[in-house]
Amino acid sequence: MSEQPFAGIRVLDFAHEWAASIGPRLLGDLGAEVIRVEYARRMCVIRGARLGRKMYNRHPRWHQVNRNKRSLTLDLRQERDLDAFMDLVRISDIMVSNSRPHVLEKLGIAYDDLKRVRPDIILVLMSAFGTGGPWSGFAGFGGTIEPLSGLQQLTAYSRQGKRYRTREMDVCNGLMGTCAIMTALLHRQRTGEGQFVDLSQTETATHSLMGEHLLEYVMNREQTLPLGNRHSYFAPQGCYPCRGDDRWVTLTVQSEKQWQALCGLMGRPQWVDDERFAGRSRRRRYHDLIDEAIAAWSRELSHYQAMHLLQGAGIPSGAVLDGRDLQQDEHLAARDYFMTAGDAGDLLFPGLLFRSSGGDGRIFRRGPDLGEGNEYVLRDLLGRPEDEVSRLDEKEIGTGYDPE
Amino acid sequence: MSDTALGHIRVIDLSHHVAGPYCTKLLAGFGAEVIKVERPGTGDPMRSLGPFHQGRKDLERSIPFLWLNTGKQSITLDLKSEKGQEIIRRLVQEADVVVENFSPRVLSSLGLAYDDLRTINPALVMASISNYGQDGPYRDYRADEISLYAMSGLMNETGDPEREPLRAGPDLAQYSAAMCAYAAILSALHRRQATGRGEHLDISIQEAALVNIEMGLVETLQLGQVRKRTGDRHSMMPWQHYECADGEVAVISGPIRHWRRARKIFDEPRLFQSKYDHCLVRRFLRDEYEEILVPCVKQYRKKDLFYAGQEQGLAFAYLATLEEALELPQHRAREFFTEMDHPVVGRHRYCGAPFRMSATPWRSQRAPLLAEHNAEVYGRLLGFTEEEIQAMEEEGIF
Repeated sequence: MSEQPFAGIRVLDFAHEWAASIGPRLLGDLGAEVIRVEYARRMCVIRGARLGRKMYNRHPRWHQVNRNKRSLTLDLRQERDLDAFMDLVRISDIMVSNSRPHVLEKLGIAYDDLKRVRPDIILVLMSAFGTGGPWSGFAGFGGTIEPLSGLQQLTAYSRQGKRYRTREMDVCNGLMGTCAIMTALLHRQRTGEGQFVDLSQTETATHSLMGEHLLEYVMNREQTLPLGNRHSYFAPQGCYPCRGDDRWVTLTVQSEKQWQALCGLMGRPQWVDDERFAGRSRRRRYHDLIDEAIAAWSRELSHYQAMHLLQGAGIPSGAVLDGRDLQQDEHLAARDYFMTAGDAGDLLFPGLLFRSSGGDGRIFRRGPDLGEGNEYVLRDLLGRPEDEVSRLDEKEIGTGYDPE
Repeated sequence: MSDTALGHIRVIDLSHHVAGPYCTKLLAGFGAEVIKVERPGTGDPMRSLGPFHQGRKDLERSIPFLWLNTGKQSITLDLKSEKGQEIIRRLVQEADVVVENFSPRVLSSLGLAYDDLRTINPALVMASISNYGQDGPYRDYRADEISLYAMSGLMNETGDPEREPLRAGPDLAQYSAAMCAYAAILSALHRRQATGRGEHLDISIQEAALVNIEMGLVETLQLGQVRKRTGDRHSMMPWQHYECADGEVAVISGPIRHWRRARKIFDEPRLFQSKYDHCLVRRFLRDEYEEILVPCVKQYRKKDLFYAGQEQGLAFAYLATLEEALELPQHRAREFFTEMDHPVVGRHRYCGAPFRMSATPWRSQRAPLLAEHNAEVYGRLLGFTEEEIQAMEEEGIF
């Protein structure tokens, strides 16, 4: 077994919710030791709204998003806990947070504070609006960032129609946060130099999803999108009904050869020579008519049948899969995409972001129980006496849902 | 030696369209030398896909190409010719990373698969991005973004439950994969520093995009719950868009514990009756709650309500047009946009760095013209003379 890429790296995961959890989780998959720092009086929202039966330890979504991590509960407003935290910084390589910048300053754990005890520390701070500027202190979730960034202007059934949200701001931002983490770690490995990474989630959502759309607006004062399910260049493209309840298949015709194949599949060979449909521009003019014909054909088939037939004819196509389909999908099964975690029996988890011939990532534990790592971190790593190891007092635990 | 993070890395970029090029755009921005290998004459097929600058179809005016290929060098090379393959092998010898997003069987048919290339350069990190990965029954399946969005479970959750699922406007699946590929490459370089060995990275766009629904998917796997489209009715309440006097506002009751602070915004005590205190209760009383909330929101102008919410610590937003998005005061203050010159399309505003690194800056440089760097790369790096380059061009190899 070859060495994992980040073996020996210690990560302080100071995330709330999803976006900032993704990078540390990948580092955990790839061998780093990841310590999630939690505030028990107001737990992460992913731990849910209920305290009874310790439900906060039992949500699969928590087990997934925070797999391969330890959990350390601290109250950083208490001097003893802050001391312990700074001792932990001293033996850590990187901290990831999505707090607003002034929150870290107030707690005394801003970059300069961390750097004082660990000169080569990396801090990746991925706040909603970044450090500096008039909105730096503003709050932001995916539902904030998507409309403000302009992204939400691009998704709708029709040009003037209601704008829909896409899936998922936390993830595109979390993946860009992951890129930031990797870049800083590689630089540190080579030079020994740590640094501060200032990431604005509004900027990363913009950069990673709409750069070309903003550039179109800058250059031409136009926006091609939204176009519903149609393509800006090829035709036809769409999402068509299949047999069953809420079952659909998508396809895109990218060439004349594919168009001819589609006519054959639909049982309309006469359309091959029909001038109305010669070339993508003309087909766009008759898109509604073509859509009706495709729907009449697809409606008789299951979404998988339709996809396999279309692919067999060389036409780009995909079934609209839901969770159950994905769970049972033969391709994902053949690639062993779903994985078990070492400590969670037969339960399956969504798998890895990528595979490598140098050795894949691993899931060796599901997301931790609250405070699961307190003894390990405080006693074993930091050598604190037994009586300083934070013991969870059930009465002091609160959820992220509790009103003020 | 530069002060960028990746100034010591040379990348041979065999990729085209979106996923590979965005990955190598990030590599170039953080300092890597990225040599983009394009097909002689026509280049990256993205150069022929619009929209185009001023609507003029031209290989140097494709707007998505101009965005996706900043900071790279362009050379042309016919990979189907034996001479071309020989030259690629020489380039790979001088490289740290190869990025490609051909269909899985293409490179092995050219003798340029990872197993071929690692014999010339055992330290090579090669990233292969494809629709469904390098093996499995869908390996050769074709896709446009809409099919990838469908096959990764995202489309099922986007749009109106009473209608067909809706494709996201942006190429979300491909961009997810691009960022995964970047992370994969850097993790391999990190490991290479310790082992000296390269590796082959298999990035399936479908699998990379699945992380977008990981929370719902794990609930299917473990609890048997299957998510459906909700038409943006969020499980938190309120957490969605409502019409206001001059547009739409996102009324977000987050951080959840702060919702009662909205008393200072909406002069409507019924919204803050104690029975509505808990966000999950509000969700079950959505209709009656909206009956009170919607008329309150209507009275506001969008930016006024946005600032009023933020002043109370609530994450409100307004639905910005692209014009408004370009002019966000926060973008201006942080100088998110940079101006770039291009010999064909002139000077324009582009998004600058995706994130700011205090020690290792981002470089903003325009996309290359087709074959712009043939002389430099073939001459400087491989030692071709001008005459030899010209001969190769005449032969159609360059």
